[in-house]
Amino acid sequence: MTLLLPHILNGLTLGLLFAMIALGFTLIVGVMETINLAHGSLFALGAYAAATILSPAILGDTAFAAWWGTLPLGTRYALALVVGPAVAALAGIVLELCLRRTYGKAPLYGLLLTFGAALVIEEAIRIAWGSGEQFLQVPAVINGPMFMLGLIYAKYKLFAAGFAILAIFAVWLFLERTPYGAVIKAGAHDSEMVRALGYDIGRLRMLVFALGAGLAGLAGVVMAPIWGLRPHIGIDVVIPAFLIIVVGGVGSFWGAVVSAILVGLAVGISGAYAPAWSMMSMYILLVLVVGLRARGLFGRKSQLEL
Amino acid sequence: MISLSDVPARPGAVITPQIVLFAAVLLTAPFWLPMVGLYQYIGVEVAIWILYALGFNLLFGYAGLHSFGHGAYFGVGAYAFGLFQQEVAVSLWGGLLAAIAAACIAGMVVGAFLSHRRGIYYALMTIAFGQMFWFTAIKAHGVTGGEDGLLGIPRPPADFGIVSFDLSDNTSLFYFVVAVLLVVTIGLWRLVHSPFGRVLQALRQSETRAAFVGIHVWAVKWAVFALSAAIAGLAGGLFSMAQQSAYPDVMSLHQSGFIVMMTLIGGGLVSFWGPVLGVALYFVARDVLGSLTETWLLWYGLMFMIVVMLRPEGLAGAIHLLSERLRAPRARAAGQPAE
Amino acid sequence: MALFEAVHLHKRFGSRVVLEDVSLAFEAGKVSGIMGPNGAGKTTTFNILTGRFAPDRGAIRFEGRDIAGRPPHAIARMGIARSFQLMTLFDESVVVENVMLALPAFRAAQTRVATDVFADKALMDEAREVLALVGLGHRAFQKAKDLSYGERRALEIGVALAADPKILFLDEPTSGLGAEATRSLAALVRRLRERFTIVMIEHDMRFLFELADEISVIHWGQVIAHGTPSELMANKWVRRSALAEVA
Repeated sequence: MTLLLPHILNGLTLGLLFAMIALGFTLIVGVMETINLAHGSLFALGAYAAATILSPAILGDTAFAAWWGTLPLGTRYALALVVGPAVAALAGIVLELCLRRTYGKAPLYGLLLTFGAALVIEEAIRIAWGSGEQFLQVPAVINGPMFMLGLIYAKYKLFAAGFAILAIFAVWLFLERTPYGAVIKAGAHDSEMVRALGYDIGRLRMLVFALGAGLAGLAGVVMAPIWGLRPHIGIDVVIPAFLIIVVGGVGSFWGAVVSAILVGLAVGISGAYAPAWSMMSMYILLVLVVGLRARGLFGRKSQLEL
Repeated sequence: MISLSDVPARPGAVITPQIVLFAAVLLTAPFWLPMVGLYQYIGVEVAIWILYALGFNLLFGYAGLHSFGHGAYFGVGAYAFGLFQQEVAVSLWGGLLAAIAAACIAGMVVGAFLSHRRGIYYALMTIAFGQMFWFTAIKAHGVTGGEDGLLGIPRPPADFGIVSFDLSDNTSLFYFVVAVLLVVTIGLWRLVHSPFGRVLQALRQSETRAAFVGIHVWAVKWAVFALSAAIAGLAGGLFSMAQQSAYPDVMSLHQSGFIVMMTLIGGGLVSFWGPVLGVALYFVARDVLGSLTETWLLWYGLMFMIVVMLRPEGLAGAIHLLSERLRAPRARAAGQPAE
Repeated sequence: MALFEAVHLHKRFGSRVVLEDVSLAFEAGKVSGIMGPNGAGKTTTFNILTGRFAPDRGAIRFEGRDIAGRPPHAIARMGIARSFQLMTLFDESVVVENVMLALPAFRAAQTRVATDVFADKALMDEAREVLALVGLGHRAFQKAKDLSYGERRALEIGVALAADPKILFLDEPTSGLGAEATRSLAALVRRLRERFTIVMIEHDMRFLFELADEISVIHWGQVIAHGTPSELMANKWVRRSALAEVA
C-alpha cells in the first residue's frame, strides 16, 4: 500500500486534471448533444496563447517586448490565465457559428465538423507557432519540488490539482446557483422547454460553447507546464475527454467528475506495474464500463444513441 | 438528388459504363501520369487508398456505421503482411491472405463489442478501439518495431504457377494493385445491390424497422464491420508492400480521420463512386497544393468543413447536380419535363 | 386456445408503472382492437407484445410458445408483424424495396452477396403483389419519402403484410388520415381480415367499432373492459372514461 501511495496520489492528481479537461466537454455535450472533437485543439490554442503571453519575446524586438519582459512572471502568468481561455472561447464562438448548419441534422455532422475544425486549428497552430515542443514558464512560488508525507512532489502539480478542484466547484456553482445554470440544465433536457422559458436558444448555445471552449483553454494554460506543448497535443487531450464522458454517462456533471478520477486512478495505479502501458488502462476501463452499462455510470437517455 | 439506395440503371449488370471508365482511367494511368507532371508511385498509392476507401464506405456510407478508427485494420493488414514475409515465408499470396485474415479477425473481435451500439456511441467506440490498436503498435516493440515500424519488407513476385510477374518496380506493382482493385470494385458493386447489400442500407435508414421485418441487426452490423476491416487489411498489406515498411502512423486518429474526410468529400454518402473521387482529390491536393504551400492541410481541413456544412453530398453530389442542370435545357427542348 | 395471448404483464419505466397485470388474448382469424386514452399504455403494450421491450413479469404466448423477452427479429421471424404509429419506413429506398425487405423469401436470400435484388423476378413479383393489395402498385419505383401521407400509411401496412404474418399488429393505422383515406383504409382492413389475424390500436372509435370483433380497453396501465363492440357500447363505465375522451 505504501509503495502504491505515490501512484495513487499521482492518479488522483491526473484524475482532477482530466476532470478539468472534461468539464467544458460535458457542458457542450449536455446542452447541444454535439461531441466536440475540437475540444483538445481549443485546449492547445489556449495553451499556445498563454505561451506567447508568458514569453518575453511577444512582439519580437520592439520596445513593447522589452517592457513586457520586465513584468514579473507572476503578473504575466495571471494574464495568461485570462488571455488563454479568452482566445479559446473566441475560437469556440466561431466554431459554434459553423455548427449552426448542422443543428437538426444527424449528430454525425457535428462530429465531422468538429473533427475538421480540430485539424484546421492544429494546422493553424503549426503555422503560427511551429512544430517544435514548447514549455511554459511558471512563477517560482508554484515551481520546484516539495515534500509531503515523505514523498517528493512537484509543487506545480499540486497547484494544478487545486486549481482543477476550484474550477469544478465554480462550474458546479454556476450550474446550480445562477439562472443561466438553471436554463442550461433545462436545455440539457429539452430545447423546447428553453424556448418556453423565454430564452433565445441560439444565444444560449453560443454562450455554452464559448464557456466550454474557454474551459478547454483554461485547462490548457494550467496543464501545459506539466505536459508540454506540441501542435498535436489536441488529440492526446480529446481522447481522455470523450472517454471520460462516455464512461461517466453523457450529460451528467458528477458522472464526468467521478469517471475522470476513476480514469486518472486507473492510469496512475497501472503505471506502478507497467509504466509504458498505463494509458491502455483507460481504454480497458471504457470497454468494461460500456460493455456492462451502455449508458455509462450515470448516463441518461440521449439523442446520441439514435 | 442521387442516393446510395437508388435503383441501378440496369439491374443485374456486372459491368457498368462507370466501371469501364474507371478501369480505363486506371489502366492508362502509367501513360498519362508523367504527362500531367506526376510520378508513377502516386498511382500505386491512390489505387491502394481507393481500395481502402471503397471498403470503408461499405460501412460508412451504405450501412451508416460511422467508424473513426478504421486505420487500425489498415495497419493490422500492413503489419500482418510484413510479419508474414519476415517470420513465415516470402510469399505474395501468403502475405496478402495473412493481411486479410488478421484484419478480419481484428474486425470480428472489435465488431462484437461495437455491434449493439448505434449512432455517435458507435463512432466514439471505434475511436477508442482504433487508439488501442495504435497504442499497441507503438508499444509492442518486439513485434511491430515500435515507432520505427517494420523495415525492409520485400515485394515478392506475383506467382501464378506457370507465369510469375516481378513487382519490384512501381509500374508493375501498380498494375497488380489495379487488378486487385478492379476485382474488389466489381465484387463490391455486386454486393451493394445484392440482398445482403440492401439489408445494409435498410439498417442505415432504420434499425428499428429492420429488426421488425426480421433482420438480425447485430449479426449484420458485425458481419459488415468484419468485411470492411478485411478490405482495409488487404489495402494495408498492399501498402506495406508498396512502402516496403509498416509503421504505426497509418493507425493514428489522423489517418483514420483522413479516410473519413476523403470518403465524405468525394460524396460517399450518396454515390458508390464518391470514395474514388475523394481519394483522387486528396492526393492531388497533397501533391499539387502541397508543392505550393506548406499549409495545404489547413486548406484541406477548411474545405472539408465547408463540405460538411454546405454540401454533405460531396463531389459526386455536385457532379450529379451539374449534369442535371446541363440535361435540363435539352429535356425542355425535347418537350419533356425536367426533373 | 387463443393464437396469441399475454398473461399478467407488468412493466415499469424507472418509478413509473406503465402496465399493471395486463392480460390479453387474440383469437385466430379475428380483428381485435385495443383502445384507451393517450398515455394509457397501449403503445407500450404493443411494444412488449412485439419484442421491443421485455416485460418485467408475465408471459406472452404465441402458438403456445413463450416469446416474452425474445428479440424483435426473432419474433418477426415467427410470423408476427407490426406497423408503427410514428411511420418507420426505409425513406431513401423505393416503395417496392421497402416491401421486398420484409418478404420471407428475401429473408431466406439475405446472406446472398452477388445477385441483384432488382433483377430477381420472383422477389419483384411477390413485392408487387403486396403493393397491389395495399393500392400502391403504381408507386412501386417512387422513393418512400416522396409518397403522400396516406400512401405512407398504406406502405406501413404493406411492409407489415409482406412478411405474410400469422398475426398483424397495427399501431393507430388511421393516425393523421383524413376522412377519405380512413374510408379506403377501412376497406383495406376488411379485405385483409379474410386472410390475416389482426390486432390494432385505434383512436378512431367509429373505425374500430365497425371493424373489430372484440375490443379491450386499456386505462392507467390496466385492462378495464373487454368485449364485443356492442357489449362495450352498453358499458357505462367505458363510455365515460375512455370513449368520452376519444370521441
